[in-house]
Amino acid sequence: MYKRLVFIAVIVLTGQVVSNPYDLQLLTFIGINTLLALGLNMVMGYAGQISLGHAAFFGLGAYTSSLLTIHLDWSPWLALPFTLVFVGIVAFLVALPMLRLSGYYLGMGTLAFGMIVFFIFLQWRSLTGGDSGLIGIPPLTLGPISFEFGAAPFYLVWGIVFLSFIVCERLIDSRIGRALRSLHDSERASAAVGINTSRLKVQVFVFGGVLAALAGFLYAHMVTFISPQTFDFLMSVKIVTMVVIGGMASVWGSLFGAALLTLLPEWLHVFAEYEMIIYGLILVVIMIFLPQGLTRGLLDIYEHFKSRRKTLPKSHEG
Amino acid sequence: MSISSPEEKPFQKVMKVEGVSKAFGGIQALQDVSFQIEAGHIHAVIGPNGAGKTTLFNIIMGAYAPDSGRVIYKEKEIQGRKVHEIVSMGISRTFQNVELFGSLTALENVLVGRHVRTRCGFLSAVARWPWVKEEEKAAREKALEILDFVGLKKTGHSRSVDLPFGWQRFLEIARALASEPQLMLLDEPASGLNAVETQQLGELLIHIKERGVTILLVEHDMSLTMAISNEILVLHQGRRLAEGSPREIQDNETVISAYLGKV
Ligand SMILES: Nc1ncnc2c1ncn2[C@@H]1O[C@H](COP(=O)(O)OP(=O)(O)OP(=O)(O)O)[C@@H](O)[C@H]1O
Ligand SMILES: [Mg+2]
Repeated sequence: MYKRLVFIAVIVLTGQVVSNPYDLQLLTFIGINTLLALGLNMVMGYAGQISLGHAAFFGLGAYTSSLLTIHLDWSPWLALPFTLVFVGIVAFLVALPMLRLSGYYLGMGTLAFGMIVFFIFLQWRSLTGGDSGLIGIPPLTLGPISFEFGAAPFYLVWGIVFLSFIVCERLIDSRIGRALRSLHDSERASAAVGINTSRLKVQVFVFGGVLAALAGFLYAHMVTFISPQTFDFLMSVKIVTMVVIGGMASVWGSLFGAALLTLLPEWLHVFAEYEMIIYGLILVVIMIFLPQGLTRGLLDIYEHFKSRRKTLPKSHEG
Repeated sequence: MSISSPEEKPFQKVMKVEGVSKAFGGIQALQDVSFQIEAGHIHAVIGPNGAGKTTLFNIIMGAYAPDSGRVIYKEKEIQGRKVHEIVSMGISRTFQNVELFGSLTALENVLVGRHVRTRCGFLSAVARWPWVKEEEKAAREKALEILDFVGLKKTGHSRSVDLPFGWQRFLEIARALASEPQLMLLDEPASGLNAVETQQLGELLIHIKERGVTILLVEHDMSLTMAISNEILVLHQGRRLAEGSPREIQDNETVISAYLGKV
């Protein structure tokens, strides 16, 4: 409980202290990336099902809501539930055949799905504007407040991140969360204790997809301009890297991974050209040396040293 | 897990396996196997390596569909049904090579075992309705009770991979008990146990039987099997070689030459 209060306090304080619009936007993007990582963490970190096409759901959320608001003049608030349900259905239809696969094949399948969606954004010009994307997406408003610039979008996004944390934590700490983790450990044994494993996999995939769609919705109406590149394969790899960095430590790992991967390119400008290579390297290094993720790995190392210091005098006696 | 009274148990035979065959490529793992399991008994299945014992379990549990034949549980045909349906109907199993959820604690393993007896889904997990909290609390009490029953009360919060091997075997039995089965399939539960643990296992199985649970037991430890089984089915190269009481099996010439003699 006190963790949550601290979290709220940090959000409010940050919103008060940071006034530079550029920094605020960066922080807001961290929030959006956290939503993406949180969803994929449930699929990959907890249920152990790899997905290399998570950016597709991010993009579908952004494009669906943008198209509804631009072409049909819907209010974003009306477009929101429609968008979430639509992307949820897409995720369901994709998951049904896809999650029969496992390991590399699941990786390939989800990768192909991400590619297909990306090419639809790129090629269906009459609808999506092709390469140049969609402009003039209406910002979110609530009475006199516009969630386009400044602290308002920051608070909105982080408010939603906060709620998503609670949702994920409650899921993890429940019958469903245990079933997801058991699936990760042994699918055969999960089935043997009576878990409908295919249904559970589909459900968690849809959950992750809908959370990504929510992130896409927020992103589109905040930036008011979208183009396919934001939702390409590199983005999917980036989300995977966030989850791997965060590890299965907790939902906090997702936040840490998202923050690191949002800030790194800002700090290191050379990054841009080698982005893909660097993510690849990070992934390989973490998988080899800290298979539990960076967060868990660092905690383990810390605990290892702590316990060694405790046992050291004993071993001298012996 | 109270002992069911006779009127609650109208099925004399809790399970009938009728003419079950199963081939893997060229290997005939099971060939026209038939037998019946008396409710409340410990029914052993023995036979040399590759006899088809584990395959029989996989078919009963719904992990494989038989090529032909029927599996009848409480008068219902169950062959070819999904594993989770069969578990909720009241059958559970353990694996020949212990298959626990390694990253989960012992208590959590047993809680996952209660999956089919609880019903909280995605939405109710998020909403945390009052009934969800009650269900969770009841599940925990039950899981602790089961851990206590198999003698692992104190290990609840250790990760299951960290437990000594023998305890892992008992934990897997606890997990299988958590779904409140009427029929349990135990695949070589004594393998890898030391003499003391094997003794404890024998006592545990008797206790489980006393609670009214029928046990189908695959076991290579002959003194254990002979001591606690009501009937023994002998499989050999996928076929039913003999069936009878432990005494009858011990005296059976064919069995001795095919199996016991060699061991
Ligand atoms: N999934 C499978 N694919 C191919 N062959 C299999 C499969 N499962 C079992 N078999 C084969 O079927 C035969 C019976 O195997 P099974 O595992 O049922 O024997 P078992 O009686 O349990 O032996 P053990 O005492 O060694 O456990 C063996 O020849 C085995 O190689
Ligand atoms: Mg076997």
